[in-house]
Amino acid sequence: MDKDSQQADADIRRADYATEKGEVILRKHEYDGIQEYDQKLPNWWLVALWASIAAFIIYYTVYYTFDLMPSFSDEMDAKVEAVQEMRKKALAETLPKLNDNSLVNVWSTDAEIVAAGHKTYTAMCAACHGADYKANGGTTGRALDDGIWEYGGKPMDVFNVINNGSPEGSKGLNGMKMVAWGETALTPKQVAEVTAFIISINPADFADLKN
Amino acid sequence: MNRATITYNDKCVRYFLWASIIWALVAMLAGVLAALQMNISMEVIRESTVLRPIVEFLSGGTLETEGIPYITFGRLRPVHTNAAIFAFVGNMMFAGIYYSTQRLCRCRVASDKLTWTHFWLWQLIIVAAAVTLPLGLTQGKEYAELIWPIDLLVAITWLIFGYNFFWTLIKRNEKSLYVSLWFYIATIITITMLYVVNNLQIPTSLTHSYPIFGGVQDALVQWWYGHNAVAFFLTTPILGIMYYFLPKAANRPVYSYRLSIIHFWALVFIYIWAGPHHLLNTALPEWLQILGMLFSVILWAPSWGGMLNGLLTLRGAWNKLQTDPVIKFFAAALTFYGMATFEGPLLSIKAVNALSHYTDWTVGHVHSATLGWNGFMAAGMFYWLAPRLWKTELYSKTLANAHFWIGFVGILLYISALWIAGIGQSLALNETANGYVVKQFVETLDNIQSMLFMRSIGGALYLVGFLLLAYNIFMTCRKGTAVDATVEVTVRERDEIDRVTLGTIVKQDPFAAVLGLLIALVFWVTNPSNIFSLAGIIFFSVLAFVRFKKNVKKWNDWHETITANYLPFTIVTFFAAAIGGAVQIIPNALTAKAEVIDDRLQVVYTPLELEGRDIYVAEGCHNCHSQMIRMLETDYVRYGDYSRLGESIYNYPFQWGSKRTGPDLAREGGDISQGSEVMRQGLRDNFWHFRHFMNPRDIDARSNMPSYSSLASSKTNFSGLPEKIRVQSLIGVPFPVMTPHEIEGHAQGQALEISKSIVAQNPFISWVTPDMSRQKIEAELAQKEIIALIAYMQKIGVYEVPVDEDGKPKAAAPAPWENPDQDKAKH
Repeated sequence: MDKDSQQADADIRRADYATEKGEVILRKHEYDGIQEYDQKLPNWWLVALWASIAAFIIYYTVYYTFDLMPSFSDEMDAKVEAVQEMRKKALAETLPKLNDNSLVNVWSTDAEIVAAGHKTYTAMCAACHGADYKANGGTTGRALDDGIWEYGGKPMDVFNVINNGSPEGSKGLNGMKMVAWGETALTPKQVAEVTAFIISINPADFADLKN
Repeated sequence: MNRATITYNDKCVRYFLWASIIWALVAMLAGVLAALQMNISMEVIRESTVLRPIVEFLSGGTLETEGIPYITFGRLRPVHTNAAIFAFVGNMMFAGIYYSTQRLCRCRVASDKLTWTHFWLWQLIIVAAAVTLPLGLTQGKEYAELIWPIDLLVAITWLIFGYNFFWTLIKRNEKSLYVSLWFYIATIITITMLYVVNNLQIPTSLTHSYPIFGGVQDALVQWWYGHNAVAFFLTTPILGIMYYFLPKAANRPVYSYRLSIIHFWALVFIYIWAGPHHLLNTALPEWLQILGMLFSVILWAPSWGGMLNGLLTLRGAWNKLQTDPVIKFFAAALTFYGMATFEGPLLSIKAVNALSHYTDWTVGHVHSATLGWNGFMAAGMFYWLAPRLWKTELYSKTLANAHFWIGFVGILLYISALWIAGIGQSLALNETANGYVVKQFVETLDNIQSMLFMRSIGGALYLVGFLLLAYNIFMTCRKGTAVDATVEVTVRERDEIDRVTLGTIVKQDPFAAVLGLLIALVFWVTNPSNIFSLAGIIFFSVLAFVRFKKNVKKWNDWHETITANYLPFTIVTFFAAAIGGAVQIIPNALTAKAEVIDDRLQVVYTPLELEGRDIYVAEGCHNCHSQMIRMLETDYVRYGDYSRLGESIYNYPFQWGSKRTGPDLAREGGDISQGSEVMRQGLRDNFWHFRHFMNPRDIDARSNMPSYSSLASSKTNFSGLPEKIRVQSLIGVPFPVMTPHEIEGHAQGQALEISKSIVAQNPFISWVTPDMSRQKIEAELAQKEIIALIAYMQKIGVYEVPVDEDGKPKAAAPAPWENPDQDKAKH
């Protein structure tokens, strides 16, 4: 036995001795003057380690080995369906209240509704149709104050264009087409509010429906 | 026994130390600049006549100015992250490793020549990165942005470093390896593996390449790399440094050797598996997401093992906390390490991630680790090293203390501001009513402006603290004289060192139990319905536990034999680190690329769209925009149908993104316009995109996006397209066969069509003069990058549903990574 392994043996004896006596083990070997204790691991730390490993095994077993949980895509498809239902319901709630007559005589005469529509218009529509409704001289969209209603001048036509975007098959303005706001960002109620607002800034165009 | 007097190479440590300090200042300055860019849409600044011009200039013209393309956020952020990780922490790591390894081996570094080659090449890489990234030369993969020639240089330099390090180990006069060296070994071999695999790419020119992985495969490989760059570049080497410098500074023994063993092996083995937690709730296959989440949770205890071993080493030295700035920095760094490694597993839980991902919370999380853990460890180490390297006292303890407190307050401001901003914005984004969003994306920005400004202040404070450090260290150098330490060592004969063979280690009892456990684990993870592998795990666990309890000494001896020879140790470490990645990546990499996934198959880009995509990548758009609508109700309501893997399978590199400073773009693309062969209109028309790129605030005054008006002047590189398409065909994208001439012609045709649709609206373009004819403007504009980029925007996420002869959707081929049994059970 060379000197070093004798030393190592003595160290371990020392370690065993220390363990028996419940003392802290200080390892004999030094690295550039750095010594090491061999303290026991804190129990709470061990619990955290084993608990997380146990969680792994349980979760993986439940999910896969026994397939007890729905898969992510099944879960997601259920959520998608729920959202679609809610949207259908929102549309079903708003649509019956909407017709050419009510939009002009009820919605567009209610100051609160028009104000809400104006707010939405400023946030979502003004970028292309302009804060002055002139659509940057007709370059970024259709002007909304020139009395021309490309896709129909009835209030419900306006609602439908906002809700569904430029009609399918239409050529758009130099090929540019509007987003279907009802499918991407606005609730049916918000679309109706914007419609009411647009009616309110073009009283002459809708005068024939006015009671 | 021979005694000899040796001199350590401390000169290289001094050089690395100063390089680290200088690059730290650059990195932090870039960070503060990037943070300021986020503040530009604040009312206070927008309305101010003093602040606005300053911020406008600093922010690269993100207000209504022309814009300086070189420092737009998408290009600046990679400068910041690369400088912070590879320049600041990299050089700091090398300083610490060269200093401590020589002493732990009790010999001078093996080769001075290699050391200096390493130093100067590394600085060259950094300079090259600092030049190329602002120019928009990038791979478009986070923390792996550098273009292929620089990647090669990095690989060569890293190998030189590794060679020099292992050569030093071989020449050592110390029988076994101290724990710091274990961490250094793990760092060197794992980073080599990660860097090489993630940077496998095929060049198309001197400055451009495509990765060989695309879509989901690229996503997996990228985050296997990205997450473990954090683990093995920012964590393990710094832990090694901690294990050397902390006990030195505290003059106390390390708390627990067995804790060192357990947390070292646990970190090396487990970290690698956690990468997919960057892709939670995405289209990534479920089993990978779950693995990523669960392994991240297991990481918590081993990470805290490192913190505990550090903090508890300070027992008996806590009084120094009041007087010694070094101990102050170390103690705070370990505490931040503990905090960040608690937050990490928390953010990896799928439900929490649904709230935190893509928000500033994640940004705050990484900064609590980099500023708190890396930055403070660096500061502590520099303050400890400087007096020793220049043989004098530290110039000013008061300044060092001031640095500590300024930095500390800076970090706290930074992370708490981003907690509030991240969680706040996420809650606002998640708010839905009747299946519709309550707030538009841009409206949620209002809520976070003040917090983002607070973040800038926090970051700036941290920078001020580091300036104090630079001054303090500089004055210390001036006061002292550079001295290389000299010691007397016992020279070991070569036959005394590294005698233990791999065979000896393998033959011993614990090896079989551990190996059996690992094999069972791999089988179970990849095929969980196989009960036998689960039984195997339990059997080998019990076996290992019983044997360990029965004969602790034997297990101790076994570990002693591993640390007595560097080579078997390195081999075992490599396997421990390689398993996770292999299990997660190889099944995916074997997938045929044209596989129909989730019934969807991406429509291949036209040449112009491909070029537009490369511009998107070059501008770093993915730094702020995701292209991944997650499987969450809120994502679905806001952005539309959730993303499937098949939609991005031909994307080299993938661009799912990791942060939404702006909205998701996965559903921007759309159908071919009426009467056109190739031109498309998605959600918005060409002219909308044109106006938006020229000045986003023209569309919405609250927008925080930089102006990209320079793209209306920069020329599209049409002539590079044939080579790009050749390479993409090579890696599996089914481009139609076209001659180079046809490719350019096709791209030019599509560009002209888009250009015409825009010129029809009489846009304002800076270079248009009154005498230019309409045809001339159309032809000129068609040559510009903005047109190619618009072509790409209109194509993002476009897919087809392949049908069979009966017109029914073709059933998706079973993806090889999904276990067939399990597949049957699910469908």
